[in-house]
Amino acid sequence: MKPERTSSLVWLGFAVLICIESLRLPRGSLREPGPGFLPLLVGVILAGLSTISLVQAQAGSSADGKSPWAASKRWKKLLWVLFSLLAYALALETLGFLLATFLLLLFLFRFGMEPQRWSWAIAGSAIASLFCYAVFELWLRTQLPGGILGF
Amino acid sequence: MDFFSNLQLAFSVIFQPDNLLFCFIGCVIGTLVGVLPGLGPVATISLLLPSTFHISPVSAIIMLGGIYYGAMYGGSITSILVNIPGEAASVVTCLDGYQMARQGRAGPALGISAFGSFIAGTLATVLIMMIAPPLARFALEFGPPEYFALMFLGLTVLTYLASGSMVKALMMACVGIFLGTVGTDTISGIERFTYRSYTLMDGIGLIPVIMGLFGISEVLLNIEEASKQEIYQASLSNLLPTLRDWKDSIFSIMRGTFVGFFLGILPGGGAVIASFASYAVEKKFSKHPERFGSGAIEGVAAPEAANNAASQGAFIPLLTLGIPANVVMAILLGALLIHNIKVGPLLIKDHPTLFWGVLGSMYVGNVMLLVLNVPLIGIWVKILKIPYPILFPLILLFCLIGVYSVNNNIYEVVIMILFGVVGYLMKKFAYEGAPLILAFVLSPLLENALRQSLIMSNGDFSIFFSRPISLLLILASLFLLFLPLLPGLRKRPQGGNLD
Repeated sequence: MKPERTSSLVWLGFAVLICIESLRLPRGSLREPGPGFLPLLVGVILAGLSTISLVQAQAGSSADGKSPWAASKRWKKLLWVLFSLLAYALALETLGFLLATFLLLLFLFRFGMEPQRWSWAIAGSAIASLFCYAVFELWLRTQLPGGILGF
Repeated sequence: MDFFSNLQLAFSVIFQPDNLLFCFIGCVIGTLVGVLPGLGPVATISLLLPSTFHISPVSAIIMLGGIYYGAMYGGSITSILVNIPGEAASVVTCLDGYQMARQGRAGPALGISAFGSFIAGTLATVLIMMIAPPLARFALEFGPPEYFALMFLGLTVLTYLASGSMVKALMMACVGIFLGTVGTDTISGIERFTYRSYTLMDGIGLIPVIMGLFGISEVLLNIEEASKQEIYQASLSNLLPTLRDWKDSIFSIMRGTFVGFFLGILPGGGAVIASFASYAVEKKFSKHPERFGSGAIEGVAAPEAANNAASQGAFIPLLTLGIPANVVMAILLGALLIHNIKVGPLLIKDHPTLFWGVLGSMYVGNVMLLVLNVPLIGIWVKILKIPYPILFPLILLFCLIGVYSVNNNIYEVVIMILFGVVGYLMKKFAYEGAPLILAFVLSPLLENALRQSLIMSNGDFSIFFSRPISLLLILASLFLLFLPLLPGLRKRPQGGNLD
């Protein structure tokens, strides 16, 4: 399937979803529009626009028929990075800022784009986490989670 | 108050030590992110937004503003030396700037872009001082229909100037408006699309969305493409442009300033479009248009002047009407709202120290940037050499901390990651983020103006056409919307990437 067509269909589906969900809200009248008025209006317009986009894609006018994934050889790395970010978010409050940040940076330096030497990765992660702790917690007084280390 | 007493107020505010310090910090950070590819002013300003909650609103806006125009200076360094634009408004600078560097004229190229930016920035500040107060007085007449029409025009201009398909840009604007409606409705108090989520009750946060769409997604793309950069090893000894260089470029700088300034004021315009437009203008004006693209100094001077003038002109609609002209101004609007400052035509009267202080900071900031960029250029070139595999974990970390620290809410971090993936896919499928963000920020204002207008008119849509100002604005929007449909006019100007 052509990428243009796929993306238009996804947005069309999203638009239909917006419309269905907006219908559950009070729409009010034109004299006094309610909370559902604008979302429904926008949903209908988005549905219309995605249909136009779909028709344009069907007409095949787009010369660039090649898949946007053609150049992507590093998708595994991308998934690793995304997973590490999610894991960081979920573990942050348990592990605490310093430990979680150290582990995240270590992982990204070592398994991110190009593996750095272990010694370098460990030292770099430690310095960067401590530096951020100093700037955000001590200087800017951001409330970073202490976690199991307790500070 | 006349011009000079305003000027005096402006300087008395900026020369307070803490304001001066924050202006300097903003300029340094701005230059830094301008230099670093993959981290633009948008992501940086949203990143630092939470840290400004603890300082006065005047200092906050001074610092964040400094980042924005500072990035315009820094962006040119990367464009000229590496042929990679440090941020989107410097894309055009690559064309002639890099060629100049290859011919051994990196010094004059960097010099003229710093001086051009300085001249443009200073002139733009004077222009703001002259234009903003009368415009704010005029805007006092605006009611909900005029505001609705103005925001509608802003969104239309942005989608019209989008680089890809206009249909796609309009779709993104719709998605942005929808995202802006999530949360508790301010008029009726009814929750919309929250699904009992505590995090969503206050609406989707601006910072997670921006950091996801502009920060995380950019890193993901860079990891995938992993471009090897090569820094041009040029001698940077003679930074001062020669008399000949000045003669060639002084009028280009002037033209760039005016083109940039007026495109910056226009809602939906901004530094990126300004730089492209002024390059085109210079090519038209030049007696030797064939020199452009092979190292013409005018091709560096004009767009660099334009992007600076535009980034400062963009403050006008924000500070006089309360309407952000572009994404960065949208974040600044968010910052002002967080500080409980009512943004609108009364801002100049109610908060004179804020308005004139910010303007004063622009004069001083431009001087600081000139010092930062001409004698200290060597430091920035060194920073350019940090390899991306070492840089990207730090950028990701800043995004994570930035979003978490807004509300200490893990779910906002998850929202950011989600929008990072969405933004990555949008870039892959050539959907632009800028219309989405602008629509997202304007959405609550737009909805209120629309609903209030309809209440005023008893449900009659003709209210938008019966009042002269709103009629004019709506007609202009409709003209832009239907222009691409007219035969023979199909080709829209390609504004490049608007992010």
